[in-house]
Amino acid sequence: MLYYAGQRLVLSVVIVMVAVSILTLMMHVVPGDPAVMILGPRATPELIEQTRVAMGLDKPLPIQLLTFFGNILRGDLGQDVFTGRPVSRIVFEQLPYTLILISVSILWSAALGILLGAYSALRRNTWLDTLTGILSVGTISIPAFVMALYAVLIFAVWLGWLPAIGAGRGFWDGISHLILPAFAIGVAWVGYVARIVRASMLEVMGEPHVRMARAFGLPERRITRSHILKIAVQPAVTLLGTGVAHLFSAAVFVEVIFARPGIGALIVSAVNERNYPIVLGAVLVTTGIIVLATLISDLVVAWLDPRQREGM
Amino acid sequence: MTDRKTSTLPPLGRRAFLQGAAATGLAAATMPLGSRIWAQTGQELRVSSYADIDALDPGFYQNGYNVDVMNCIYSKLVRYVPGREWDWELEAAEEIEQVDDTHIRFKLKEGLMFTGGYGEMTAEDVKFSFERVLEHDSPVKSDWGPLDHVEVTGKYEGVIVLNEPFQPLWTITLPYGTGHIVSKKAVMEATENGGDFGMEPPAFSGPYILEEWKPNQYVHLVRNPDWKGEEPGFDEIRIIPMDDTKTAERAYEAGDLDYTEITLSSLSQYRDNPPADTVIEEYPSLYYVWLGMNLDNPALQDENLRKAIQYAINDEQILDAAYFGEAKPSTGLIAPGLPGHREEPIVPVNGDLEKAREYLEKAGGAPSEPLTIDALNATVWKTMAEVIQAQLAQVGIQTQINVQDSGSFWTLGMESEGDRWKDMQLVLNRFSMLPDPYYATSWFVSDQVGIWNWERFSNEEFDKLHQEALAETDGEKRAEMYRRMQDIMEETGAYKFITHEGTPVMYREGLEPALRPDGRPLYIDFKGTV
Repeated sequence: MLYYAGQRLVLSVVIVMVAVSILTLMMHVVPGDPAVMILGPRATPELIEQTRVAMGLDKPLPIQLLTFFGNILRGDLGQDVFTGRPVSRIVFEQLPYTLILISVSILWSAALGILLGAYSALRRNTWLDTLTGILSVGTISIPAFVMALYAVLIFAVWLGWLPAIGAGRGFWDGISHLILPAFAIGVAWVGYVARIVRASMLEVMGEPHVRMARAFGLPERRITRSHILKIAVQPAVTLLGTGVAHLFSAAVFVEVIFARPGIGALIVSAVNERNYPIVLGAVLVTTGIIVLATLISDLVVAWLDPRQREGM
Repeated sequence: MTDRKTSTLPPLGRRAFLQGAAATGLAAATMPLGSRIWAQTGQELRVSSYADIDALDPGFYQNGYNVDVMNCIYSKLVRYVPGREWDWELEAAEEIEQVDDTHIRFKLKEGLMFTGGYGEMTAEDVKFSFERVLEHDSPVKSDWGPLDHVEVTGKYEGVIVLNEPFQPLWTITLPYGTGHIVSKKAVMEATENGGDFGMEPPAFSGPYILEEWKPNQYVHLVRNPDWKGEEPGFDEIRIIPMDDTKTAERAYEAGDLDYTEITLSSLSQYRDNPPADTVIEEYPSLYYVWLGMNLDNPALQDENLRKAIQYAINDEQILDAAYFGEAKPSTGLIAPGLPGHREEPIVPVNGDLEKAREYLEKAGGAPSEPLTIDALNATVWKTMAEVIQAQLAQVGIQTQINVQDSGSFWTLGMESEGDRWKDMQLVLNRFSMLPDPYYATSWFVSDQVGIWNWERFSNEEFDKLHQEALAETDGEKRAEMYRRMQDIMEETGAYKFITHEGTPVMYREGLEPALRPDGRPLYIDFKGTV
């Protein structure tokens, strides 16, 4: 298990480096000059050139990339080109908002999705199973930003129950500001998780070890919990691990719609402003998180199912 | 339609300014403090802003969103008066007088304090604040034009000395960004050499102080306890950045904002069905939108072809589609209310298809290859480009639309960014503006070719007029110079002016917003209840 974890960790570092390198290349291919964006329209060409040199933009791309990775090893992600604040500070100021949003979205959607999936599998072919199926597919097909827009219009504008923008001040205010964005992001995942858990449970329910447990006269509730569900949730865990990347993408739209701070909104504005240090820093951190989430989900699956470990 | 009730301000000359300033100063000075506007206590004003702040040093400011905050936390000699007409009044200055074309004498009010124990504002602070803009080669040093130095003649008195006359001093320098006064002692302590202090102001001198800035979340201003002047209207102001104005509209409707700008596309709907307890107001904007043509592109060398394009474009059709008819056509760069505004353009706002066909015939027909129209990737620009495409197709000119994100678009015509400018043909452009015509024409002089002058228009007479108008003290003569400059631009065939857009806003009943004539908020003067 330790060897497996170490192997995955090395691979994760390589993935992050490759992702950042590709992004750097893309940023330099796309037209747009950070020095012009920083200094505004009235700066002299000489001042713009000086700023380019100061930012290291006059150096060849591989040198810029090596400098960036070298700085990372020293814990330096660079400085925001507009405000001069450290990128690490800016990214880690925004990151908690996105992580909380994504975590809450995953938690509620996974809990409800597993419950609905298990219920559907156990009550297969009943009207409730059919209804769950229709709702699941329905929610999957609605993009998060559409859900976000309607959530604001219904619950904030029309009913006035919840706030429309921001992250709130203090714990309870923060919770009330989290409900609509987390709902908008998580609702599609309820459907995904429910469909996967249902299919997986139906498969596991027919396996020999379940029949064996029944033959031993174990109570049905215990069979479901310990012998069926424990195995059936594994695909859902894997899905949620890899799904973190999709959740980050959904967070971009949702953070913009709810004018909520977060890494998604930060990246969008930084890309538009050609604020390279912020883009690189934020993408480095999010890629790291996505890779880490995938790693954790693999390890959790390995922990849940010893057969996975044996195959390593 | 967008409210076009605009300023009838004559070109603001020195005398007119001094009369206004003296009267306003007298009124303020004779009014007992206790009888000035009663401030509401315990109230927070929540407003939206199109962008987050990214510079709080007035000597190095970049955009109006930073200045909105600076207006509240620093003082300046004079400031804009809220209302429908451009006017100025005294702020930190007790007196200000233009002694001659190159000397402006000022006297500060006594007792204006900097926070943090940095003492009283003096003429030394004024000298330091203005001169550092040039000394540190600020990107906005052009705001100070020909400033030579500031001479300190007493603790509160000094003289601003210019190398040559500079009319925009009164309109966009003193009452705006670089006109704010910072504490010399505080800045020297906070920086090594008195340079840019970025986002951490070492001391405040306005009625509000910056309590907290949470990037991408809010700017939180609270009353300055050391402030001795007129009480501000609110205890706290929370400015929330939202780059999507539609989001701000929803937030307002949900009760999360007290004041917001709204989009022109939503205006009609809000006018017919306003949210509860809401006032909708429409202000004209100073922005200018135009279709430019690259004079150095081989396909656009023929003046007759360019004129055919000018005459084929019908502004009202464009505005109906892109702004739902809520913006009016423009006649040039300079908006109504500013010196140099033209009542009529040379090419009629709605074009003339017959003339367009005549010019096209003189040009020997339409180009064999489709021309390109470059535009930003937002809906309003795509719509405008599509309407122009259809209008040009009516006379047989085929076009292809290229939409680009803002980072890419705003470097399109810059020579420093490679050869893209060579391929650029038609470009749909929009520039922001400050209330002096010089600010508009400065982008189209020969020196700006390949920088911001994307049409690559170069004209000796234009350049000469631009330079002379900076120093022209006769208001009517100066206005005429700017009108002539716009004529010259239009005569090249490289420009079709489209609109100045508009600035509709909505706010809660009971709130008394203070806006410049172009609809920009002056939060420092917001009053009332929310």
